[in-house]
Amino acid sequence: MIRITVTINGERYEREVAEHRTLLHFLRNDLGLTGTKEGCGAGECGACTIIMDGRAVNSCLVLAAEADGAELETIEGAAAGGELSAIQQAFHDNHAVQCGFCTPGMVMSATDLLRRNPNPSREEIIDGIEGNFCRCTGYQQIIEAIEAAARAAGAAAGKGSDHA
Amino acid sequence: MLHAFSYVAPRSLDELLAFLSSHGDDTRVFSGGTDLFVNIRSGLVSPQYVADLKTVPGLREISFTGQEGLSIGACATVNELLAHETVCERYPVLRIAGEELATLQLRNRATVVGNIVTASPCGDMTSPLLCLGTDVVLVSARGERRIPLGEFITGVKTTQIAADEIVSRLIVSTDRIDASGGYRKLKRIKGHDLGVVAVALVRAANTMLVAISSAAPTPVLLPEFDARTPVAEIQKSAQAAISPIDDVRCTSEYRRFMVDVYIRRLMEEVPA
Repeated sequence: MIRITVTINGERYEREVAEHRTLLHFLRNDLGLTGTKEGCGAGECGACTIIMDGRAVNSCLVLAAEADGAELETIEGAAAGGELSAIQQAFHDNHAVQCGFCTPGMVMSATDLLRRNPNPSREEIIDGIEGNFCRCTGYQQIIEAIEAAARAAGAAAGKGSDHA
Repeated sequence: MLHAFSYVAPRSLDELLAFLSSHGDDTRVFSGGTDLFVNIRSGLVSPQYVADLKTVPGLREISFTGQEGLSIGACATVNELLAHETVCERYPVLRIAGEELATLQLRNRATVVGNIVTASPCGDMTSPLLCLGTDVVLVSARGERRIPLGEFITGVKTTQIAADEIVSRLIVSTDRIDASGGYRKLKRIKGHDLGVVAVALVRAANTMLVAISSAAPTPVLLPEFDARTPVAEIQKSAQAAISPIDDVRCTSEYRRFMVDVYIRRLMEEVPA
């Protein structure tokens, strides 16, 4: 066992964890943060995507031990104060959710993308979610949702003009 | 679930190398873990210890000097390489190939050195690094040695690395600095598939270098060509050098066919 301290969605956690525990299982099984999903468990599907120290990663391929001292963002942090984030609202409005299993990972990848590139082209959106599988929607609604979220953020920033 | 192992987080290079001197046979060293944890999960390897290189200071640096060339530290991720200005400007083939490697999430963790040490026949960074002329720097408590990349990789997932050694960095020569380059990779789905076959081409002032991945036990570098060598001659040389297999991804025949196609396309699209 090893003692780690991590900050998750702004909250500090200090826990004993098995040295071979993945970060994904630490979040889900030890902390009960089950919004992050386990799909393939091998870095292929992106359902377990979280943001670790500002970078999107597959939490199934990170050890909890490695996250000691890290700042993590998971889907549980998206709806601050119970209000959907702009990206979550756009997923809702654009029917970008079918079974919902890929959605937390998609929202985290979209969050990461729009931080790096607030006004992405369609091509850049496709690249931004290249690491996330969806087996229901065919991706169209997800891409449209991310476009809508980018537009909404642009409008909220008071510009009102369309840079695309 | 992963089997129970001990996580080792060395605070210095000396500490790590001393640990490997006594426990090297039972240890897997990692940085990104994007291969190691997949292999542990599938039972391919079951080390007693996993040693994290990221806690060792000084192994993450990417730096360039006109004398030595480009140095890529063991913990430098593929996305850090792609964000490096000198790499993008002066070694364009590395950027082009790096963008083809896996997915954004994996590139945020996977390292360039890890892609080499894994020694997969389809490693995306190996072919371009072979074209550019790259040395591998190995360190252990016994000392340091530097060997050419082509000699470092000895077969399918095998290298010259000893149990007590780590690769501390790669050194990319200045021989083909500013050379234009291209990388063509055949795969079924972007990001979610290993390469079926891939070709890297680097064009320097008077010479041309071609390397091929996923068509032999190791990526293959062809002998240096004169810049005016006709396509057919390079294709002939490539066909003689590769030994592709039939497998789940495609047939040997199709691999041979696509190697010729990619050589022709790269020669058309990479500016002289």
